[in-house]
Amino acid sequence: MSDDLIRFDRVSKFYGDVLGVNKVDLRIPPGITSLVGPNGSGKTTLMNLMAGLIHPGSGTVSVRGISPFAPEQLMRILGYATQYDAAPRGLTGFDFVLSGLLLHGFPRPDAVRRATHAIETVALTSAARRKIAAYSKGMRQRIRLAQAIAHDPAVLVLDEPLNGLDPVVRAETIALFRDYAARGRHVILSSHVLQEVDVFSDQVILIANGMVVAEGAIRSVREEIHEHPSQYLLRCAEPARAAALLFTHAGILEARIDPGGAGLLVITRQREAFALAVQRLAVDGLAIDGLEPLDENVDALYEYLIGGGK
Amino acid sequence: MAVFKRGYERYTGPRTGALARFLVVPRFAWPKLLGERFVVVLLIVSLFWPLLCAGFVYLSNHASLLPGLAEAGDAVQKLLRIDGAFFATFMNVQSTFAIILAAIAGPGLIAPDLANNALPLYFARPLSLASYIGARLLVLFGLLATVTLLPGLFVFGMQASLGGSAWLAAHWTLGQGMLLGFLLYILLVSLVALTLSAYVKWRVVAGALVLGFFFVLGGAAQIINQVFRVEWGSLLSPSYILYTIWCALLGVETPADAPDAGECLAALVVLLAALLAILLRKLRPVEVVS
Amino acid sequence: MNQIWIIARLEIRRAFFSRRALWVYLLALFPAALFLGRAASVHYDRREYAAKPATPAAILDRLPAGTTDKDALAAAGPPIRDRQWRRGEVEHRSLHYFDGYNRVWLQFENGALKTTRRLPLHSFEQDTRIYAGVFQYFYLRLAIFFGCLGIFLNLFRGEMIDKSLHYWFLAPVRRETLVLGKYCAGLIAAAVIFGGGALLSFAALLSYQTSADLETYLQTDALAHGLWYLLAAVLGCAGYGSVFLAAGLVLRNPIIPALVMLLWESINGFLPELLQKLSVLHYLQSLCPVPAPLDPSAPPLARMILSPAAPASAWTALPGLLAVTALVLYLATRAARRLEINYGGE
Repeated sequence: MSDDLIRFDRVSKFYGDVLGVNKVDLRIPPGITSLVGPNGSGKTTLMNLMAGLIHPGSGTVSVRGISPFAPEQLMRILGYATQYDAAPRGLTGFDFVLSGLLLHGFPRPDAVRRATHAIETVALTSAARRKIAAYSKGMRQRIRLAQAIAHDPAVLVLDEPLNGLDPVVRAETIALFRDYAARGRHVILSSHVLQEVDVFSDQVILIANGMVVAEGAIRSVREEIHEHPSQYLLRCAEPARAAALLFTHAGILEARIDPGGAGLLVITRQREAFALAVQRLAVDGLAIDGLEPLDENVDALYEYLIGGGK
Repeated sequence: MAVFKRGYERYTGPRTGALARFLVVPRFAWPKLLGERFVVVLLIVSLFWPLLCAGFVYLSNHASLLPGLAEAGDAVQKLLRIDGAFFATFMNVQSTFAIILAAIAGPGLIAPDLANNALPLYFARPLSLASYIGARLLVLFGLLATVTLLPGLFVFGMQASLGGSAWLAAHWTLGQGMLLGFLLYILLVSLVALTLSAYVKWRVVAGALVLGFFFVLGGAAQIINQVFRVEWGSLLSPSYILYTIWCALLGVETPADAPDAGECLAALVVLLAALLAILLRKLRPVEVVS
Repeated sequence: MNQIWIIARLEIRRAFFSRRALWVYLLALFPAALFLGRAASVHYDRREYAAKPATPAAILDRLPAGTTDKDALAAAGPPIRDRQWRRGEVEHRSLHYFDGYNRVWLQFENGALKTTRRLPLHSFEQDTRIYAGVFQYFYLRLAIFFGCLGIFLNLFRGEMIDKSLHYWFLAPVRRETLVLGKYCAGLIAAAVIFGGGALLSFAALLSYQTSADLETYLQTDALAHGLWYLLAAVLGCAGYGSVFLAAGLVLRNPIIPALVMLLWESINGFLPELLQKLSVLHYLQSLCPVPAPLDPSAPPLARMILSPAAPASAWTALPGLLAVTALVLYLATRAARRLEINYGGE
């Protein structure tokens, strides 16, 4: 059993009669992993199961070899910024982060140093001594992130971490995730900002109705979906000629000249045959500027797999 | 355009009359309350005492059927008499169930609206502050009447039918007294539950406070009497205040040196006014961002 | 152990200084305020009655029931206060005298002497019994009960309501440690507030005693009594606290455990001996140094409920209560291990 994986083994969780997740089997390697799915699909449930905030009805979860039933071990390597907007009453941002570190057992001077650094990282230094109750939504988001990263965990779990952040902080936060991932750590996050997830995720887990419908690197997930046709933009100077030539090959379902003049939009089920056909066009002397897949981003996957549920 | 076709259209169906509008609140609240297991259990348990009293009423009206009872002495005959003291005891016991029921059902009526900032939603609709409070009071009135007023009237009606018109003519004031006494009691208990529910926002805490209000104030009244060797401390006890008023309404004597019904009535009015004032202060149709 | 202390320290400020704790202070300090009020009233009475004419006790004692008010006035002379009122068909009259030690009220109904009520201006023995009654019937049964309900339910259920309990669950702390840390915080707060309240009211009680009474008491039982009251208050917090902490972990609605507990404590006297041992009040009443007086006018049922159940000796009460507390805390830690974060139903 490898120790650097997050494992879900046939995990099911029901809230009374309501399904949370059903028979989830997952192996999540280090890197940035995005949980994507419509509201109520089970993303938060998976995160809460990882952190031990809820317990599976059946199946087992382990995080780098540690059971969530052992919080005294798990929470030393895991930081979780939840979606809950509330914070303990009466605390300042600094006290909030500091109290978490003291609970970790850090000596006070070390805890103060770490809290200061974590707050700096999320750019909240100027507001650190203010009560959290007076924070804006984005500031609360950041202070939760600061508490999650303050003890430098190997597994960072973040529920909708980019919500409410302004563009600059958002970019810095994403850079932080990349830095974590680059150091061989887990960054598990959920988000509705699909384009951002698409940009920085190493892998994506698509969830719908409590079930994992796809997992893996976005491209590999896309490649495994055979039942859906693929879309390409063939950038060329003579789209009409290219269309005529391509239709002589099997597997082309649709070819349209891009109204914006970018080239030819092609829909096909047979990627390999299509790739060969494009090579042949080039050999035949058609000037091709480029071939661009249009549906290898999360949005397209989301549409394919979940059926417009976003 | 699709968007245009699916756009907003004014509601043109029948509208609820202005006076009946507040009934919407109890219409939804009652089924919800009756869906709570503990409320149902309490409603059932609260019927035992009225059934026992009904049995007693039957027994007292059929004493001649039981050998020995008819010839029993004055003490037994006095014990079997259905008079003001009997109804005062009945009301005293039954009122405890009303407190427990109010502690369980009451806090859920306003506290969640405040905790979730739902008041602006209510008042954005054609529902005034008075009708909102009236509607919430009506919810509790309906619930508390089922454990106080209805069983009480049932027992009184049973005695009236068994005792005949002569008994009714001589004792109709008991029925009237019980009706009025229970109405005052329901009003007080409901206002306490609603006010505390509005005051602390959290239903779990409000429920405990409702219990504490009656029990702790009762205890506090007693220790004031003990420590200062006085009797006026009883005016702080809501249960004592109501009991004294009931006794006056039912023609039952109370200790001569204790506060009388007039003083208790004045204390009750002050208490109700204070509760209402706090309730009105807390129920503001504004959103509080914390 | 270190983690328990860290948790307790983080929690304790909230338990002491939150706005929600305000009413706990009111409950704890109410008896002290009353006894301070009594002290003021005794000082006032001593001054007031020093100037009043004293009617010899022998004259007042000689008036039999049925004496007319006119005869009483003729025998005892003019009263300090003469009050007349009518209730129903009965004409009431109360003549107030002072015999140099007692205040005496002659109560007439329709002109005939019904009762003679006698209250010493000040009686140390009576005061200590009243204190015992206040401590057992109000402080232990109501103030500490409801105070602990507030403090200890707030530790977990309050955090559920505030949607902040997950922060504790996300710390590298065993759930058992968390429960014990929070319990310690609640216990320290409750013990300081209610133990302090008990001592303060005891001090207030002693503040208005005559110097002779006070000196004798200080040389004999005062210290022991004060310590036993303090111990009973602290153990009350420990016992009730463990129950309400466990209830806050297991149940959403505290009213139900509060009701059950109130009922359980009330009917404890009727239960078999073994079940009596599972009541907090059973042990606490055994620790109280002065038996509380029972109001003779209380109905028989109330007397049965208020009377202490087969008392345990103080030295068995102490480990008994600690054992009950430990058992409940153990059950609470078991419940905490299974507890999940689900704020939806709050």
